Amino acid sequence: MKPEGQLNSSSDRLRDPSAARPPRTSIWLAFVSIGAVIVAQTYAILTSPAEGDMGHLQKIMYVHVPAAWMTFLSFFVVFAFSVRYLWQRRENDDLLAASAAEVGATFNGLTLMLGMIWGRPAWGVWWVWDARLTSTLVLFLIFVGYLALRAFTDDTQQKARWSAAVGAIGALNVPIVYMSVKWWRTLHQPPSSPATLDPRYTMGLRLNAIALLLVMIYFIRKRYEIARLERATEHMAEAAAMGGK
Amino acid sequence: MTWRDDWRRVRAIARKDVTTELRAKAGFNSVASLGVTILILLGLALGPDAEALRNASVGAVWLATLFSGVLAFNRSFQVELESGALEPLLLYPGPRWTIFAGKLLGNLIFLTLMVAIVVAAGIVLFGVQIPADWPSLIGVLALGVVGLVVLGTFYASMASRSRAREVLLPLLLFPMLVPVLLAATTASKALLGADVMHEAGAWIRLLVAYDLVFLIATFIAFEHVIEA
Amino acid sequence: MTTAASNLNFIIAAYAVTWIVILGYLWRLVRKGGRARADYERMAQQRSGEKSQ
Repeated sequence: MKPEGQLNSSSDRLRDPSAARPPRTSIWLAFVSIGAVIVAQTYAILTSPAEGDMGHLQKIMYVHVPAAWMTFLSFFVVFAFSVRYLWQRRENDDLLAASAAEVGATFNGLTLMLGMIWGRPAWGVWWVWDARLTSTLVLFLIFVGYLALRAFTDDTQQKARWSAAVGAIGALNVPIVYMSVKWWRTLHQPPSSPATLDPRYTMGLRLNAIALLLVMIYFIRKRYEIARLERATEHMAEAAAMGGK
Repeated sequence: MTWRDDWRRVRAIARKDVTTELRAKAGFNSVASLGVTILILLGLALGPDAEALRNASVGAVWLATLFSGVLAFNRSFQVELESGALEPLLLYPGPRWTIFAGKLLGNLIFLTLMVAIVVAAGIVLFGVQIPADWPSLIGVLALGVVGLVVLGTFYASMASRSRAREVLLPLLLFPMLVPVLLAATTASKALLGADVMHEAGAWIRLLVAYDLVFLIATFIAFEHVIEA
Repeated sequence: MTTAASNLNFIIAAYAVTWIVILGYLWRLVRKGGRARADYERMAQQRSGEKSQ
């Protein structure tokens, strides 16, 4: 349970030889992923027929559903790297978790906005206290808390340990939140039955999910590169201030 | 006999916290008064229709508890931080979890007293009729308070040492407490209405599971959080 | 306005929001990345300059 670095917490970063050279993310990954999104969206919009009672509104699904998946995926990345950070205390794991959290919060915000844009014409209201919508909102608030904690903590070691704890414990809560909101809803009114997806729509959905996954990978990599650069600059400035080599 | 020493350590920290808070009186009295004040404000905002007030009573009591509880949790670490007593506390021999357990126990006692006052005020102000099954209602309250105290103490150990503790603690804590809020309010409402749908049982099980999951998780994580 | 026409507005809004978020975040990353890289290079140069003296 206790990592050996506990005796002297400043030794955490010294044990990490890879902290020296920050990575470089190719701009081509950005072009490829943006291109993939354009192709996937074009394909999906052109091939999907109008659906019975929804008409063409169903096309919002191609952006809304993949954005929701990426939100959950990036929160899983936060969870995994937070736990690994607490385990092994490698500075880079902390930076990667934080990068995934920022990207996840962005996709989370997008998911919520798209959910509301979908809800207004489909249900006649901007917001319903639906289990998925509400737990996505709670997830967003947990992300916001995580990022606020990082913003309000100065010591890098503390920042890393605390946000890892918050990230791991926050992720534990996600299924519990989902379950509780679902029960809360179903006990008050019958749940809306989720329509099974017509096979004509699955291909477009899959393509869009893959394209958005590429975007997410680029975002997290790029954000991670920035975090590494900033941290490396800080280390050098610190070393210079100490008059060291 | 080490568990005995651990237990002594836990008790010592809890006793110290509770006695300083109660002796200072200002701490407990002001937090409890805030709880009652929030209840009064909610009553004014939602009233004066007696039926509407009765329906809102459970939610009002829980919101008052959450908002005043946040102040109590921050206080529990503030005293140590202001007097610089946290570092010496960490240097004492013995496992670190005893510090968390002690804080937890102290906060639990503190919050239980406060909730008792808030609930009594809520019953009077919102005209709640006490049902025959009131022991279950107390059980729901107790489970909810445990969940609140476990996560509140854990997040306060970080937030109170950050630059923006007043804002940060509720920001971190309240989203995490969504299941507690839903379970405690729905179960209490069901019990107040004689639980015709038999839905309270499921919510109580959810509360028990929540409390256990986060009790274990925070005890594991606290070792990492408390390091200087 | 017919339902179909008003639905079209919502569809356009959804795709517009998606692209604003994606491109906006991309823009932010590229700008921030450029600044971080420049700071890093400057600091690295400064350090190597100190060392060689």
